[in-house]
Amino acid sequence: MTELEARKFADLEAIRAPTLGGRLARWRTALANAWHELRKSRTASIGAVMLVLLFGACIATPWITTYDPIKQNYRERLQPPSEKHLLGTDRMGRDIYSRLLWGGRRLVTIAILAVTFGLSLGIPYGVLSGYFGGRVDTIAMRFVDGLLAFPGLLLYLLIVTLAREWKMEGIYNDMVLIFALGFAFMPEVARLSRGSVLVEKQKEYVEASRAVGDGSLAIALRQILPNIISPLIVNATVRLGYVILIVAALSFLGLGTPPPTPDWGSDLAAARDYMETAPLIAAFPGLAICYTVLAFNLFGDGLRDILDPRLAER
Amino acid sequence: MTDEANKKGPESTRREFLTATTALAGAALTAGLPGPAAAERKRNPKRGGTVRFGTRDDSVGLDTHRNFIYFVSQPLAGTTGGLLDFDAGMNIVAAIAREWEPSKDLKTWTFKLHQGAEFHNGETIDANAVKWNLERILDPKIGHSFNRSALTDVDRVTVDDKWIVQVHLKEPSAAFDSNLVYYPVNLIAPGAVDKADTAPVGCGPFKFKSWKRFDICELVRFENFWETDAEGNTLPYLDGMIGRPKKEDRVRLTALRANEVDLIDNMAYADAPSFIKDSAKVYDTYPVPQVGTAMITFNMRSGPFSEKDNPDAHMLRTAAAHAIDHEGIHEAVFNKQGKVAKGFYSESSPWYGKDIKSWPAFDPDKAKALRKKAKDGDAKLLIIANDSFPYMQQSGELVHAMLKDAGFNVTFEIHPTPVIQDKYNKAAFDIDSTANSYRIDPDGWYSRNILSSAPETKRRIGYVNEKVDQLIVAARVELDKNKRRQMYADVDSLVNQDLPLLYTHYVSIIQAGSKKLKGYKPAFTGPFQYAGGGLRTAWIES
Amino acid sequence: MLAYIIRRVAYLVPVLFVLTLVVFTFVEMLPGNIIDTLVGNEGVNDPEVRKILEKEYGLDQPVYIRYAKWLFRAVQGDFGMSLVTRRPVAVELLTGIPATVYLAVVGISLSMMIAVPLGTIAAVKRNTPIDYTAQVTSLIGISIPEFWFAILCVLFFSLYLGWLPSSGFANPFVDPWASLKFLILPAAAVGFRQAAYTTRLTRSSMLDEMNKEYVDTARSVGLSEGKVIFKYTLRNAMIPTITISGLQLANLLGGTVVLESIFAWPGIGRAIFEAILQRDYPLVQAGVLVLGCIVVVMNLLVDLTYRLLNPRVKLG
Repeated sequence: MTELEARKFADLEAIRAPTLGGRLARWRTALANAWHELRKSRTASIGAVMLVLLFGACIATPWITTYDPIKQNYRERLQPPSEKHLLGTDRMGRDIYSRLLWGGRRLVTIAILAVTFGLSLGIPYGVLSGYFGGRVDTIAMRFVDGLLAFPGLLLYLLIVTLAREWKMEGIYNDMVLIFALGFAFMPEVARLSRGSVLVEKQKEYVEASRAVGDGSLAIALRQILPNIISPLIVNATVRLGYVILIVAALSFLGLGTPPPTPDWGSDLAAARDYMETAPLIAAFPGLAICYTVLAFNLFGDGLRDILDPRLAER
Repeated sequence: MTDEANKKGPESTRREFLTATTALAGAALTAGLPGPAAAERKRNPKRGGTVRFGTRDDSVGLDTHRNFIYFVSQPLAGTTGGLLDFDAGMNIVAAIAREWEPSKDLKTWTFKLHQGAEFHNGETIDANAVKWNLERILDPKIGHSFNRSALTDVDRVTVDDKWIVQVHLKEPSAAFDSNLVYYPVNLIAPGAVDKADTAPVGCGPFKFKSWKRFDICELVRFENFWETDAEGNTLPYLDGMIGRPKKEDRVRLTALRANEVDLIDNMAYADAPSFIKDSAKVYDTYPVPQVGTAMITFNMRSGPFSEKDNPDAHMLRTAAAHAIDHEGIHEAVFNKQGKVAKGFYSESSPWYGKDIKSWPAFDPDKAKALRKKAKDGDAKLLIIANDSFPYMQQSGELVHAMLKDAGFNVTFEIHPTPVIQDKYNKAAFDIDSTANSYRIDPDGWYSRNILSSAPETKRRIGYVNEKVDQLIVAARVELDKNKRRQMYADVDSLVNQDLPLLYTHYVSIIQAGSKKLKGYKPAFTGPFQYAGGGLRTAWIES
Repeated sequence: MLAYIIRRVAYLVPVLFVLTLVVFTFVEMLPGNIIDTLVGNEGVNDPEVRKILEKEYGLDQPVYIRYAKWLFRAVQGDFGMSLVTRRPVAVELLTGIPATVYLAVVGISLSMMIAVPLGTIAAVKRNTPIDYTAQVTSLIGISIPEFWFAILCVLFFSLYLGWLPSSGFANPFVDPWASLKFLILPAAAVGFRQAAYTTRLTRSSMLDEMNKEYVDTARSVGLSEGKVIFKYTLRNAMIPTITISGLQLANLLGGTVVLESIFAWPGIGRAIFEAILQRDYPLVQAGVLVLGCIVVVMNLLVDLTYRLLNPRVKLG
């Protein structure tokens, strides 16, 4: 059969009450479709390649950096790219290339953990709230709306300022930042999940399951979740890019980790003083941020094209 | 001010003053004395204009008692005036008080006011007004701690006569008069106190017109200012001043280049060398050698650097001092602007001490060895810095790196002021990368931050050395300037040995202005207006 | 419809309550205190001074009482005095909010003037080079950090070319020409990212519309392509675009903090940021409350507008 037919078949499968075998078959066709789409979709492929490079660099950092990123050498300040220093040195004589790599590793890790944490908080919150409805739903959503009413960066500002002052002994400092970012991101996830749940709740297969006699929680988890995963995954991928921009903006404002830890945002802020004398120092962290966010956005776009069949004709 | 007076210093100037004024020949010594009669006040016909002044800082509020009005970089400081003034060499000269002298026991200071000096709204500055001002500043609900700290020694203020004020101190002090210059003890009009937060009325060379925080501060010339130039024209020459606060160094410099402002109070160290070189034809630069002194202080109240908790504390502090390369700070933080600090006062200051024994030289091997030997050499250490000052942060960063190289287990944190204050209170740090403003009289620095019984010393450093205490207390009541200077130099020698703190660098700034601005030169510690100079004698060439 | 509106408005109250509670809690938890700054080196060994100041600023009372007092006054419109400037908080807000709104509105307007035509053309000429260019540039546009773009703009237009001032602000009612000069770079920095986002949005909603049945019907009936696009498709596609832009506008009010710092723009974002650092509780709370109000009200308006324009969507 043609691809289109295969996909339609997979959709039909989703509507029918699935047995375990049926469900597995559905997933298998879905995955096969996905891989095919991935290779076909230009945006997703490019994004995927960029991401692979990015993750590769992050993982390989300890082996591919040339210098200790915090080792300062004031005799070699503000040097342009050379053989010795691939991308030059900053105002304290530190190697920019190494700083970018370590900074990226940290930033990407924080972003992924923060988004994961946000998802793990927000999805149950939203799904359960949407499923149970009524009073529970109203109160839960009001709390979330209260958090969502913070315009722009303000909630992040407050939380991160607070997080900076909480130093828990023996725990990796950035954990608090991760929790803070995840918590700030949770309301959107909750809203999205709840919205999807509300839509799904009205669909036929939920009625069907109820008629058959499945328990309410079981219904929520088994039936609804797989159907709301798609928009959430796309949202999460794009959200990763956005979180990176936010963290960079916050470090730029001075709310990041204190020097000398490598950090793209604060390196950019420090570079402002040298815009005329050594503009490249400001160029590299900025380009790094662009690349990373672009990678996530491209891949997220591609994912959206793949996972949401309605848009497949684009 | 004659050259003679400049060389001699405060108390000699004061004595000349007293003799001169008793002969009613005040105008012969000083270029400007308060009080030409209203009919005689005239303006210099050729000099005027409005200067647009780009500053790093802006006032937090308009009440000059409640808020710390920084006289180097806040335009509002142009409205402030006080009992005394200082000149370009930071010598104390007369202002509203035309003569002053201490009693024999140095516990009572008598100030004779000029009769007829006015506030901006025309109110007379008489003894009662002065008393009211001093008491207002001393009120903890009103006076900012910095302003109040200038008057901590004051026991009470009495009014003898319409024009005579007496200040009674708790402890004798030869240096008290230096606290009464227009900053921080400025005088405001008692009759306008209800407008102090909205339209302040002071007695300085400029009158308040309007203010929008971080945006603009407009001042106009005060026609009845007491000071005149040598020809009898009243100062200031300028018609007004427009203050444009621009916090970012780069933004300020660009504003100067784009002709949005005529004068800036500071530029980033990174920009200084190229600016001075490239713009010499179009702009004047005014280097200010010492606006303050940067240093790192050790927490001797508790922790590895405290003798209480660690018998090898001194060894550890010495190890840390050996690890620090002052040249590195000079290059990387201050971009070679200004000089490395061996004591509190730089060479440009009249209080510069010549033979101060130096702090431990940069010797990384010795640092490592001593650190290994000392007890608690591996202890976790915390370096803190205030986020308001880039050079404090950058010095902290550099010190952190240097100490790490010597094997110290250090972390570095930057915090806003309230948190820093909290950490001081709780002694929750080990090293503080900080600085202190230039003090017109050394007593202002030493008796507040080095003397063991001072509250601030107890809080931030916890240093106790009897010899040091003796020297500081004696210097306070010593009238001979040379002897005083030597005593403070001896204190610094001991400080450089005991290492409660390590002086690092003098904080210099570079002011710059368009060539249209004439007759301007900042005082050597940065104030943009002072007796006989600065913006008081500047004008814009059209 | 009316009942729906009333219900939604009533819904706002607890939302705002949660907002203020969250802000209050967070700011309370921050270590360091305005008293610490005020007391300086005097109050450490003198608890009397500390006590006097605490009483003066009302900081000697327990947290919940302070919150209750603040809330009681706030609903009557009294936001108290800023702890730092000692002027009424309302004054600070009145200066800051218009400045931010000015910047945000101009930025979004500029962005829509570019994005809507671009997105439309990209949709109409799908899969042509124009479309690809638009897609690529807008994708890159949402990936560039705003503050980096702002710095680059300043570097190029201010330092290098000297055409525009690098920072500052002028009141448009007082000096419109100067105000314009100061406005261009910040508005461009705000606008370019919005433009990228809106282009993508416009393009995808246009594509959505163009796929609908009525478009084919209209074409088959004989209407010209131009009429089909401009009279019908575009108008319908604009609904989600405009509504989401409305949400973006509300979001910008607190999102311009970084740009306001870079361009020394006296907006409310920067004011709140500094207030947080200085522990100026009344300003932070009042600022977040007012901004939060604006956000939720705008959300509500957007929602209502959307439902009005798109009668097929069910209410409730």
